[in-house]
Amino acid sequence: MNTALNLLHLLTPESILVETILVVLIAGLFKATAQKRNMLLSLTLIGGVTAGAMLIFQPHYGNIANGMAVLDPLTRFIKVVVLGLSLITAVYAVQSNIRQHFAEYLALILFTAIGMMLLAGTENLLMIFIALEMVSIPLYLLAGFLKQSSASAEASLKYFLVGGVSAAFLLFGISLIYGTTGATSLRDLAQSAPAVTRDPLFLAGLVMAIVGFGFKVAAVPFHLWAPDVYEGAPTSSAALIASGSKVAGFLILAKFLAIGLAGAAGSAASSQLQPGWLPLLAVIAAISIVVGNLAALSQSNVKRILAYSAIAQSGYMLLGLSATGGTALISVLFYVVVYALTALGAFGVVLHVEQRRGGSQLHHFEGLHQSAPGLALCMGVFMISLAGIPPLAGFFGKFYLFAGALGSASQGGNLGLLWVVAIAITFNAVSLYYYLIVLKHVFVTPATHPAEPVTRRNAATFVTGLLAVSVFAIGLYPGVLLDPLRAAAQAANRKPVTAAPVQPK
Amino acid sequence: MSPILFWIFSALMLGFGAATILNRNPVASALSLVVSFLGLAALFFGLDANFIGVIQILVYAGAVMVLFIFIIMLLDLKAEQRRQINIPALLGGVAIVVAFTAQLVTVIRSYKAGNEPFAAITPNLPDAHNIGMTLFANYNLPFQVIGVLILVASIGVVVLSQRELK
Amino acid sequence: MNFIDLLKRIPEICKTPETLPLEGKKLILDFVTWLGSLVGIAVPPWVLTLVNILVVIVAIIAVFLIMFALMSVWERKILARAQNRYGPNRVGPWGLFQPVADGIKMLTKEDIVPRNADKVVHFIAPIVMLVPALILPVLLPYGRGMVAIDLSVGILFFFAVGAGSEVAIFLAGWSSRNKYSILGAMRAIAQMISYELPLVMSAVIVALVAGTLSPTGIVEAQGGYQFGFFPNWFVFTPWGFVACVLFYFSALAESNRSPFDLPEGESELVAGHLTEYSGFKYALFFMAEYVGMFAINGLLVTLFLGGYQAPLPFLTFIPSWCWFFIKLAFLAFSLVWVRATMPRFRIDQMMQFAWKFMLPMSFAALFSAAAWHYAGRGLLGWGISAVLVAIPYFALGYFCFTRHHSADNRRYLFSE
Repeated sequence: MNTALNLLHLLTPESILVETILVVLIAGLFKATAQKRNMLLSLTLIGGVTAGAMLIFQPHYGNIANGMAVLDPLTRFIKVVVLGLSLITAVYAVQSNIRQHFAEYLALILFTAIGMMLLAGTENLLMIFIALEMVSIPLYLLAGFLKQSSASAEASLKYFLVGGVSAAFLLFGISLIYGTTGATSLRDLAQSAPAVTRDPLFLAGLVMAIVGFGFKVAAVPFHLWAPDVYEGAPTSSAALIASGSKVAGFLILAKFLAIGLAGAAGSAASSQLQPGWLPLLAVIAAISIVVGNLAALSQSNVKRILAYSAIAQSGYMLLGLSATGGTALISVLFYVVVYALTALGAFGVVLHVEQRRGGSQLHHFEGLHQSAPGLALCMGVFMISLAGIPPLAGFFGKFYLFAGALGSASQGGNLGLLWVVAIAITFNAVSLYYYLIVLKHVFVTPATHPAEPVTRRNAATFVTGLLAVSVFAIGLYPGVLLDPLRAAAQAANRKPVTAAPVQPK
Repeated sequence: MSPILFWIFSALMLGFGAATILNRNPVASALSLVVSFLGLAALFFGLDANFIGVIQILVYAGAVMVLFIFIIMLLDLKAEQRRQINIPALLGGVAIVVAFTAQLVTVIRSYKAGNEPFAAITPNLPDAHNIGMTLFANYNLPFQVIGVLILVASIGVVVLSQRELK
Repeated sequence: MNFIDLLKRIPEICKTPETLPLEGKKLILDFVTWLGSLVGIAVPPWVLTLVNILVVIVAIIAVFLIMFALMSVWERKILARAQNRYGPNRVGPWGLFQPVADGIKMLTKEDIVPRNADKVVHFIAPIVMLVPALILPVLLPYGRGMVAIDLSVGILFFFAVGAGSEVAIFLAGWSSRNKYSILGAMRAIAQMISYELPLVMSAVIVALVAGTLSPTGIVEAQGGYQFGFFPNWFVFTPWGFVACVLFYFSALAESNRSPFDLPEGESELVAGHLTEYSGFKYALFFMAEYVGMFAINGLLVTLFLGGYQAPLPFLTFIPSWCWFFIKLAFLAFSLVWVRATMPRFRIDQMMQFAWKFMLPMSFAALFSAAAWHYAGRGLLGWGISAVLVAIPYFALGYFCFTRHHSADNRRYLFSE
């Protein structure tokens, strides 16, 4: 009974979101009026903001049922971020061409948010799997929401099939890990994993789990679904897939590897290769960077460019993950959050162009600076940030990431990961080309489309602008994001391992 | 469980599992799957896990398979066309299967728990009670999250399958 | 031990009717042992086990098949009475041998298999239908200590096995390659899936209150008398009454009985999934349907009507197994009565009734049962529980069965 109460206490924000969903669904049943979509959106936002406020006023630490649900400052920070990203997606959705079942669409976005929050707040393999499904299943539906569009159906089906296979891999891997170590909690796993690192079954499980996660974060041998899904899915859904689910996915991959399997890391240093997850991760990172950046060069659709760029960025983040220890985790999280903000903003611009000009090919962007100068400027900020050019947030993300990888203590501090970093930096230069191609179409090429009326201001463009400002601000003062992350991580590390269920604030 | 029964049911399960994949007729596949599930349930009964065995029949052989069959009937699926066999792909597949099986066998041989005899089964455990206690005490949160997940799935089904009113 | 001793035991056994079946079984086992000693060998234990099992199986199958035979006459008699005619009265006294005549007719009829039918599946379907139906009665407690298999999860096993008949109906409908067959099978499966939910839910309620899934345990939980005369049967509690009624209707629908017989509605679908069956295969389907119907009503007796418990304390002199069959006979009569009285549902009415009324009501009954339990199972609990089922009943009745729309507001969603 006590556990149940603690659970409720710890998961109040998630419960509020579930209640919001029910309210939104019921409100969606009433007859459609002109104001209905805005009304539904405001209900969603009220619920989301309430949940966010509850999140901030929650106790600092909590640990229920051996890591099923944990709460520490870092977790809370990520939870707030993913919730915010989801709400921004909901704002985008109002501008998108989703007319039918709008209440259900918002509900599914909130479900994804719940899944991501649960995923961020757990240290248990079983819960990780269930929460991943809780993220994935609404995303499959969101991807296929445009029932008239065959591209959307294709995207949904591909995403679903690949997601299903990856879930099977993950589950099989988890079951093997559980079978050899007897632990589902990551903290227990950390204690029993070093004893079985040479066990072939354990290694098989490890590889399968990483394959499963690799599908989820679209790293290279498992990336084939990403371009089609980004292109075919409704833009607001694609924005959520690119931003929120990526943050949650990387956080949980980081937790899984750094907390649970720290003892089974091995080494990827070119001089002293040892089996473990590190070499695997480093190789996947290197291939992702190469393939993602090269494939993006030949794309003509901005959504596909963003998809391949996302694959490459996954590579950078995996590189960050393979550099464990020290400040590596902070730098990865910094990078992921910055990337999520940027990608979300870029999708906001794409959404606008799609609504106005009926497509997201490169030529649809021509002359954007004339019809919507503000959005064109935003697009410039996002693209340059993605490319990692100095005054913007993306640069600092990459800087911390590469610095962390080079100075990684677990590699003996002797530049063991230099080969991956060298690949990353080289191909980062390549990536500049396609980001600038997009900007060329936005700013330089004259408009061939008939001039459309000057953009009316709406919530989505406002949010896009806000995202651009935040990317700019984080670029100027990285501390805005870095300091809270750092503080949260330090506070999280200070917490006793066997925490009392809930400590009052 | 007597070893003879174990082998019979295992053979039944695996044989019909293979038939599920090999049959070209979707109905025959679905029915083979039912028999395969029944074999699995029988194995559970043999381990004195009555509750799990019954749930296996009730959920998989009963509910899930009936829905499969219903869908097959609604869609009026025809037997699959026989395809040209792609020799290199076939060889590659066979090679991977052989390699994987060999690997699996060696791994299980070298794995110490794979060679130990199982502890004797305690008969007449109150398994329904035990599962209930575990589910609602230790695994309360996953259980509830799965409840929400089912809500997601049902919303999805309604959204995707409802005909658009013009 | 000799044969005379065995014979002498028969009148002894008959003196205590309560244990008659159990003692009879022992007698048969002793008879087998005696047979062994006659030949001069000690009968090995596995033979005795086998004989034990066989005796039970044969007894149960025999009882249910005799009941099936009697029911087929009885049903026609009652229907005839309801329709002001005589019914079968030519074969034997009061037409009692009618089933024999029917059986001979069925056996000698030509067995027709359509040319396009999937012959193997067409052949298997009646078997798949009959086998689960014959497994079901094994799980019921017929009297004190009289249960063939006392499974700890008996109730669930009952439903699990019962699901087999859905597969069989599908096989029959699909393999016939006949539009009527497949339409009938689709209707039947849709109906059975829909009504399985309230069926299982109302059984779950009983399991919740009794704290066990074993049929014997549930019957024992209904033993004893309130205030010395009022039986503790679950049907006499508000939630139990609701659950019992829900179970009764779901059981009707599960066994495809009128008014839920639209899967084989003669006027629309010839005979539904049975259209292409004739001769003995048809008889097997028919038999399976009746045995399944007895079994599921036997489960109703077990769950709600106190199983083998006598209704009043002074009636306990009648043996427990008689009570079970008396209750079962009463239910069988009521089934025919309903069939004679009620018109057939339309398919949308049938679906609405299942999903919009029965399922919510079963949830209401679940809450009501929980309230009854936590209020101490006394008069207070009785009152709370009654309120908790009455409110949803009237609310659902108002929303589902009162016409709020005029006729031209109807939307024909699927008729374009």
